[in-house]
Amino acid sequence: MPICEECKSFFPIEEEPGKGDCVQKCVDARQTYFTARVVSADHDASRCDTFQKS
Amino acid sequence: MAEPALKSDIKDFEDKGQWWWAAEKKRSKRLDYLRKAVWRKGSTGGAPISPIKLDLEPAFRWIEFYKQFKCEPQPLRTAKIMAAMWETDPIYIVDKSQIVGSKTPTPSTEGWEGAGGMANAAVYNYPEILPEPMEEALRKVHEVGQFWDAEGDGMSRLISMADPEDIAKFQSGAIAWGSLIGGYSGKNYEYFMTGKRAFEDIIEEIDQYIAEAEEKTQGVSNPDMLPLYQKIINWEAMKISLEAGIKLAGRYARLARIIAENFETDPGRREELLRVSETCRRVPARPPRNLQESLQYDHFIQVMARKEQPEGAWPARPDYYHGPYYDRDVNIEKNITKEEALDLIGEFLIRAYDMPVVLAMGKWVREGLQGIAGTWVWTLGGVDQHGDDACNDMTIALMQAARLVRTPNPTFAFRWHPKVKDNVMREIFECIRHGLGYPAMRNDPILIANAMHWHRHPIEEARTWVHQACMSPCPTTKHGTQPMRMASATANCAKIIEYTLWNGYDHVVNMQMGPRTGDARNFTDFEQVFAAWVKQMEWLFSLLTRTVNFARYVQSDVAPRPFLSGISQRAVDAGIDVMRPDGERGNAWITAFTWVENPDSLTAIKKLIFDDAKYTMNQLMDALETNWDGYEEMRLDFVNQAPKWGNDDDDADNMMLRCLKECARFSRELKDPSGNSWPILPENVSGNIHYSSIVRALPNGRRQGDALYDGGISPGPGLDKKGPTAVLKSCGKIDHITDGRAFLLNQRLSPTQLQGEKGYQLWRAYMKTWADLGIDHVQFNMVSDETLRAAQKDPEKYSEVIVRVAGYSAHFVDISRKTQDNIIQRTVQGIGS
Amino acid sequence: MKCSECGHEASPEKFRYLYNARIDSSLSMRQCPNCMEVLAVDELKREALKKVGLGEAPWGKSAGIENLAEDAGPGAKLPG
Repeated sequence: MPICEECKSFFPIEEEPGKGDCVQKCVDARQTYFTARVVSADHDASRCDTFQKS
Repeated sequence: MAEPALKSDIKDFEDKGQWWWAAEKKRSKRLDYLRKAVWRKGSTGGAPISPIKLDLEPAFRWIEFYKQFKCEPQPLRTAKIMAAMWETDPIYIVDKSQIVGSKTPTPSTEGWEGAGGMANAAVYNYPEILPEPMEEALRKVHEVGQFWDAEGDGMSRLISMADPEDIAKFQSGAIAWGSLIGGYSGKNYEYFMTGKRAFEDIIEEIDQYIAEAEEKTQGVSNPDMLPLYQKIINWEAMKISLEAGIKLAGRYARLARIIAENFETDPGRREELLRVSETCRRVPARPPRNLQESLQYDHFIQVMARKEQPEGAWPARPDYYHGPYYDRDVNIEKNITKEEALDLIGEFLIRAYDMPVVLAMGKWVREGLQGIAGTWVWTLGGVDQHGDDACNDMTIALMQAARLVRTPNPTFAFRWHPKVKDNVMREIFECIRHGLGYPAMRNDPILIANAMHWHRHPIEEARTWVHQACMSPCPTTKHGTQPMRMASATANCAKIIEYTLWNGYDHVVNMQMGPRTGDARNFTDFEQVFAAWVKQMEWLFSLLTRTVNFARYVQSDVAPRPFLSGISQRAVDAGIDVMRPDGERGNAWITAFTWVENPDSLTAIKKLIFDDAKYTMNQLMDALETNWDGYEEMRLDFVNQAPKWGNDDDDADNMMLRCLKECARFSRELKDPSGNSWPILPENVSGNIHYSSIVRALPNGRRQGDALYDGGISPGPGLDKKGPTAVLKSCGKIDHITDGRAFLLNQRLSPTQLQGEKGYQLWRAYMKTWADLGIDHVQFNMVSDETLRAAQKDPEKYSEVIVRVAGYSAHFVDISRKTQDNIIQRTVQGIGS
Repeated sequence: MKCSECGHEASPEKFRYLYNARIDSSLSMRQCPNCMEVLAVDELKREALKKVGLGEAPWGKSAGIENLAEDAGPGAKLPG
């Protein structure tokens, strides 16, 4: 089972072991932007569309 | 830097009055990108803007944290839920941006938190704002609704404690406009924005207070120690909120660094991102050191306060508080160029323009604030606490940036005083001439005196004033700041004359609303009419203010604001929630929507029925009963044969003064929770359209359905037939210090007439008359009929045309046709001719 | 009253009253119950004059010094 920690988009949070930011580059009709969402390192990523093994 | 553009192209656009195309050519690539990146918020013509979708996920996270902290005492529960939300909310940074922070999960969505009834009805009524698939979204909305139905939210708890009859009348939609809880806020800028302290300093102060209190609670039993237990809870809640704010900023710092180190390939942008990261590490934890940090600090505070509770207004004084940093960075140390500063300031305006309130809020908000998310009225100019001119280079830079980014919101209001220099006045005129509809002009000496008269603010504090919503001055000091606007004391005043004529009965909502003051058909002299009018006025203002007083009194129990408390010195020093009125001087006012119909209707009754005896009360009531249908000649008599306000006609103007003085007298009897008065403030936002179908036909010749007059003391559109000086003379008969809190005056000027230097000098002469007459406010539309009609016909081509609606500006294409027509109907005044 | 667009006839009250063109003018805007068009109506004559499309102003230009069109008092003429 792939987990978030193994993904290229996962950036660990130093102050909070076991957690990281899932950072994605997004484009909508008006702009490019980057989002960050806090995820657990061991979160199941098997259903994640954007998972990319690092 | 701006993209190379032919000067002749820009001049061509400017000559044609196509300011939006000229601005596009003049502004930097960055500002152009960021300005166009914004998904409009608010409503279009009364309906939500459709491309924006609700994100329903926050509602479920909120419920999860609510359950987790359910056993905590208020306001600790609120603080902990909020901190948990801020730690888990998705955040984003837009490419090219240098100021970060948003209330929304993505640029094109708004988060829905579920609790709070106003948004919920609209979620069902406007399914286009729900995310796909619709069926699943509706199921989720239902699930969240069921949870809060069973649990009860702050609003439902408040309503259950209030007087049922008052609440039924209040909620009828006929007489009141606004929310019982919060809705707006004031900010104690003198506490957190002077560079002396930031969040870590405040936390240190709080720790000290907690330590002292805990020591006392360890002592010998004493009744004095009892309040300390609740105070400790309040301080802890404030501390949690401030720490959560520092952490939230830290998340942006981390994201900026991640983008710089892992995604960005352009070295220049990478450097910018690292600067953004450093800025977010610095503020709001510690005081800013430069302009970028100062703007970012301010912006973070605005975002956090609005994440805590929706805020429909934005009291601010950006030139006063950011000016010293601008001066140091641009003029003294030359750390950045003027163009770089304009980029930062322009983006600061764009970030505010991007701020939502609640997408689908009630119909009354969408119709009453058409085209905008809230009234972000920022205060410029004025005097400092010593009475000296407070204008600085930042004042000018803000106006120049506004002309580049052309955001209708925020809008500026300028505190004029006799020491304002000519170069500043020229910048103001340029903004107005460019059709922004702002700055509105405020008379600083008059309004400082007004604040001292009504709320007893000392002069040094009164001089710090900012616009608390569209119009009302409020100090930014410890005891002068009012933390909420108490917006629901907003009266649909046309109902006063309507109820006078219908014995207190409302035939639109079919309820006995006001007192029974007698069958108007039996009135035999004008004094009977006026006496009935006074009773209805007293009833309406009493009902609204006692309801709002009560809501304010209990808000700290049902919906506390630990974050706002943490940035308010009065709350920090006393260990209380800022919503408690203890130690506050109070700054309440009754917003008087649809006001001028009262004196104009009374004048018409007096003249045509009792003075000239041309008609009888019976005939008038028959005509009004049928909405003037079949009585057109008589209706035109009531319009044209009775004098109207705004023509320097003593009969009409004296009626206005008589009505205002009655209100002022009664205002002194009404007391707010601090024991101060409730003066009235006539203004409308777009309430004149919202109420047009709710107010019945009136003796001024208006039919039910017709827009009500647009301003607070603006004459009816087309009824000011004697020119602009007569309008000013009428308005100058009002005592703008003692007759009320402030008075909104809309005027339309001719862009053709006010071209060039001659135009500027004409406007200066007009403003001198305005100041000499002691009028407190005036604002201008300067867009031609031709442009407005073309925009109505071809909205896509004219999507950037901005107009002044009332206390705010909006894109012309974002307001309803009826409001558009109402703006076009307003008389175009020729000045000095 | 007869709709100037579709010819539908009914009493004036059946044409939904929308709002006035100007308070001091006898022109108003009503909606035809049949074709739903917005019509300029002379309230003195109880007569539907013409359809009012977006960008059209039955009262002419705004009142004031520009004097680009006559002030719409009672009996003002409908432009176009």
